[in-house]
Amino acid sequence: MSLPVADAKTVRRHVRGLVRSHTGLLTRTVLWFVLATACGLVVPALLGELVEQVEKGVTTTRVDVTVLVIAGLLILQGVFTRTARLEGARLGELVLADIREGFIRRVLTLPLHTVEKAGGGDLLTRSTRDVDSLSRAVRMGAPSILVAGLSVALTLVALAVTSPLMVLPCLVAVPVIVWSTRWYLKRARDAYLAEAASYSDLTQGLNETVSGARTVESLRRSGPRVRRTDAHVERANRAERRTLFLRSVWFPLMDFGYILPVAATLLFGGLFYIEGWVSLGEVTAATLYTRAVIDPLDELLGWLDELQVGDASLARLIGVESAVEPERTTDRRPADDRLTAEGIAYGYRPGHDVLKDVSLSTGAGERVAVVGPSGAGKSTLARILTGIHGPRTGSVTLGGVPVHEMPLEELRRHVALVTQEHHVFLGSVRDNVALAAPDATDAEVTAALTAVAADAWVQALPDGIDTELGTEETPVSPAQAQQLALARLVLADPHTLVLDEATSLLDPRAARDLERSLAGVLRGRTVIAIAHRLHTAYDADRVVVMEDGRITEQGPHAELVSAHGTYAGLWESWHGRGPST
Amino acid sequence: MPSNNPLPELGDPDLRSPRSYLRWLIGRQSRTLFLGVFWGCLWMASMGLTPFAIGRAIDAVSDKDTGRLWTWTGAIIGLALVTTVGSVLRHRCDTIGRLKANYLTFRLVASHATRLGATLSKRVSTGEVVAIGTADITRIGALPGALARGIGSAVTVVLVAVVLLSTSVTLGLLVLIGVPALLMGTGPLLSPLHKRIGNYRDLQGDLTSRAGDIVSGLRVLRGIGGEATFGERYRKDSQRVRQAGVHVAKIESVLPAAEVLLPGIFVVAVVWFGARQTIGGDLTAGDLVAAYGYAAFLMLPMRTATSAVQSFVGADVASKRVVGVLSLEPEPTGDTAPPVVSEAPDLYDATSGLRVHPGVMTAIAAATPEEGAEIAERLGRYAEGRVTVGGVPLETLPLDQVRDLVLVARNDDFLFSGVLAEDLGGRSDQVRAQALHDANAEDIVEALPDGLDTVVSEGGASFSGGQQQRLRLARALAAQPPVLVLVDPTSAVDAHTESVIAERLHTSRSERTTVVVTNSPLLLDRADEVAFVEDGKVVMTGTHRELVSGSSQYAAVVMREEA
Repeated sequence: MSLPVADAKTVRRHVRGLVRSHTGLLTRTVLWFVLATACGLVVPALLGELVEQVEKGVTTTRVDVTVLVIAGLLILQGVFTRTARLEGARLGELVLADIREGFIRRVLTLPLHTVEKAGGGDLLTRSTRDVDSLSRAVRMGAPSILVAGLSVALTLVALAVTSPLMVLPCLVAVPVIVWSTRWYLKRARDAYLAEAASYSDLTQGLNETVSGARTVESLRRSGPRVRRTDAHVERANRAERRTLFLRSVWFPLMDFGYILPVAATLLFGGLFYIEGWVSLGEVTAATLYTRAVIDPLDELLGWLDELQVGDASLARLIGVESAVEPERTTDRRPADDRLTAEGIAYGYRPGHDVLKDVSLSTGAGERVAVVGPSGAGKSTLARILTGIHGPRTGSVTLGGVPVHEMPLEELRRHVALVTQEHHVFLGSVRDNVALAAPDATDAEVTAALTAVAADAWVQALPDGIDTELGTEETPVSPAQAQQLALARLVLADPHTLVLDEATSLLDPRAARDLERSLAGVLRGRTVIAIAHRLHTAYDADRVVVMEDGRITEQGPHAELVSAHGTYAGLWESWHGRGPST
Repeated sequence: MPSNNPLPELGDPDLRSPRSYLRWLIGRQSRTLFLGVFWGCLWMASMGLTPFAIGRAIDAVSDKDTGRLWTWTGAIIGLALVTTVGSVLRHRCDTIGRLKANYLTFRLVASHATRLGATLSKRVSTGEVVAIGTADITRIGALPGALARGIGSAVTVVLVAVVLLSTSVTLGLLVLIGVPALLMGTGPLLSPLHKRIGNYRDLQGDLTSRAGDIVSGLRVLRGIGGEATFGERYRKDSQRVRQAGVHVAKIESVLPAAEVLLPGIFVVAVVWFGARQTIGGDLTAGDLVAAYGYAAFLMLPMRTATSAVQSFVGADVASKRVVGVLSLEPEPTGDTAPPVVSEAPDLYDATSGLRVHPGVMTAIAAATPEEGAEIAERLGRYAEGRVTVGGVPLETLPLDQVRDLVLVARNDDFLFSGVLAEDLGGRSDQVRAQALHDANAEDIVEALPDGLDTVVSEGGASFSGGQQQRLRLARALAAQPPVLVLVDPTSAVDAHTESVIAERLHTSRSERTTVVVTNSPLLLDRADEVAFVEDGKVVMTGTHRELVSGSSQYAAVVMREEA
């Protein structure tokens, strides 16, 4: 399951937007290129004149002067070309930065289940290989297209001015070039998209091999991993073969199409000359001009090919947009701090609801523990309660406002979720802790670390809270990562917290100590804790038991234990006392 | 055409330097390269001869000789056909050469990564390796084509020079000396360009890591907020890459200018020299036109050579990174001839004093989870230690055999994307089904749309924490290793599931050696023997019940008391 790819219309609209936002620099770049091209066109004319002068017989001084003028023009052309290229590169880098930053901005607002289904490799390829091929198209392609287009246009103008009749023989090439180019362009886009997709798989496979390197070693999976790489390589090779086939048809037809006008110009020009319709000079000039058009025309059409690659990459970069959720725009503000779920149902696939008619309301400052067998839908409930997914039916409201309609930034000031996932971000301890509160002071960061009992090991790091994490010098254990996640939460300070197995990676005793010290820090906050360790339930004001997507029991710990229901059974077996099955 | 098997033998790359790796890579496809050079020469030479035919056709026109006009027009079309064929076949050779270099490098890196295993993540970041698999192989792949075109250009330059020499020795010498001099003219630019491109690549690598970091941490961000902070951090890095790109362009933009200027000045010099000679009467006007035509044609091989040089620089920088990763060596391994080890060997860890008896389930209950995990690392030889298996020191065994013998399964083991059955492994369907049963994971598979054939996503992201843990356990059980070391295998499952697993695990591993690092009373109660570890040493052994009544420290660590 891949992420979406933008259609041609969207890409065009996007490119127009980019052009509009950099009009000034673009105009300057074009101007330099026009100057460079103009100098370039004068040089051959002067050279031809020189050859003619020599044939007629002139002085050496005259030859020297002409040569000096030509040399001067060449130097100017060199300087203009350099300036134009540099400006072009500046423009290209700006546009590229725009695109990749926009891409990451969109990634940051992607619905989670979309990303999870597509896998990280797809996103990674888009942000590397696609950015790279786009970079080539933008940094080198765009300037070359400008230069080549200008050269072609100006040379054709020169030809028409010299002899309008001699334009006619050139037309024989038009059908060949137009037909073959259309044939090619019609097929190329899909073929290049397929090629890019095959490289996505290749990258994703490598990404997994590297991320799971230890598992590959311990489970002796190098054979299957290598076979998988090979399968991906074979697929990429097939996609490459397809585009190679398209080029193998198009390129020769084009090459032939270029030389056809030269031959036709000579042949018909000769016949016209014999008929007395044109002069010998006109035939010669026309022949030279038709030849002069070949290089820039080839470059122009050649870049069409690269543009296709760039276009395919751009389509993949901005395609992410269509997976972005519609912006959450409600400006209603919660009337109070009560989080209420009513009759919610939700499934990741149609027809397979993970949650079936769940209702849950919390009082401000209440501590609720959610327990139940794994796979009962507890984590999904956490995601729905925190507005990550909207429910399929029913509603989750915070102070009367549906949470999945509130802008995330606003919502996170009220409700936050911490899961057992222990990702340590590239950056310092401070960066990791203060990511939701970037303006936090050192003292606040340290206080948050103290609240989660992480102050001791952080202080022992070489640079304290400024130590860079996620490198080989400072490995972070899963338990420490979990402490960091909780410190993040303390600093973010929302009034309602959903903890989904947030202490599961700590050892049981430490987990319980941490939960108790957190409880002190979080006094007055509403806490919904999902836990398989029943200490959490024991310490909570209310226990909610979930089974198979429904709430089957709820009430205080003692009440549920004496009711001898599911929870009582869990409680018994948790102590190793219950009848085991 | 060269054969195109995308999966040749990997062979033994020459890793002494980035250059020697590139040389080895090129040597692997000498046939493709040879053909590429051949077609490249044909392509360029036929283009070089076209001006000659045009000149003759113009002569025919001026003589009003229709017959010769048809002949020379035909010759032009004939040359065009040769150019066309040469061009497309050269392009095919370039592409196939590119794919060969790409895929060989990619497969070498990927397979080396599997060989390095646990060593890899200790030495390089994931982003760095992935950057090789994306950007760097593209640069290396450009090399064969650039080489073929470069050689084709050189050969054509020589051919044209020979033609020129036969016309005029001085003109010929001018071309022969001038062209290499022009190429060297761009040389001084290349060293700083090299450095700046390297820097640009590094920054781009960091940016890629940042993007990867954001993608991997997206779920965490989504829960707590902080997307804005991260978007801003990425933007800053991206702007640094942009500035580095402009810095590169400051030198790089001189190259196309030099491409225009240097050959242009050269043509002018040739024409100027020729013109003065013509006036002196040493050359005919026809010779001058020819000289002009050839000198002007030389623009093409020159330009081709310049872009080839750019490709060499890029490939060299990329090759450095590839060689860096390929040169990483797995940690040293023993070479004792494989001893006969029984299906259920015993183990002894001298550091902690842990003795694991053959064919039974031993549990390690440690005062802190780190102590237990450290013992597990030693038993699997992921960490230095003095461990014997079946009486043989572990460090004297070949690593391969250690991995066959002992499987250490942890909670950070990676769940791979793809068909679930493949990731679970197992000798047969039956072994796999039994493993799923023993890990109480059958319900997970049943809920999937295609059961075991379902394609699951990377890292098991579509499963809950408890489900992932049970799938990992099932995978470890399906491997049926003689010694299985499980670290906290039930830390993320509920009490009911835990008790089912505890029961089935014991039956499943009967007759084999099993070590479970856990503080769960349910698992400890099912173990044949429990070792209690404090300060890294085994302080007591016995059954769970014996230890509970015999040691208050043990009871405090493992019992789940209410207060």
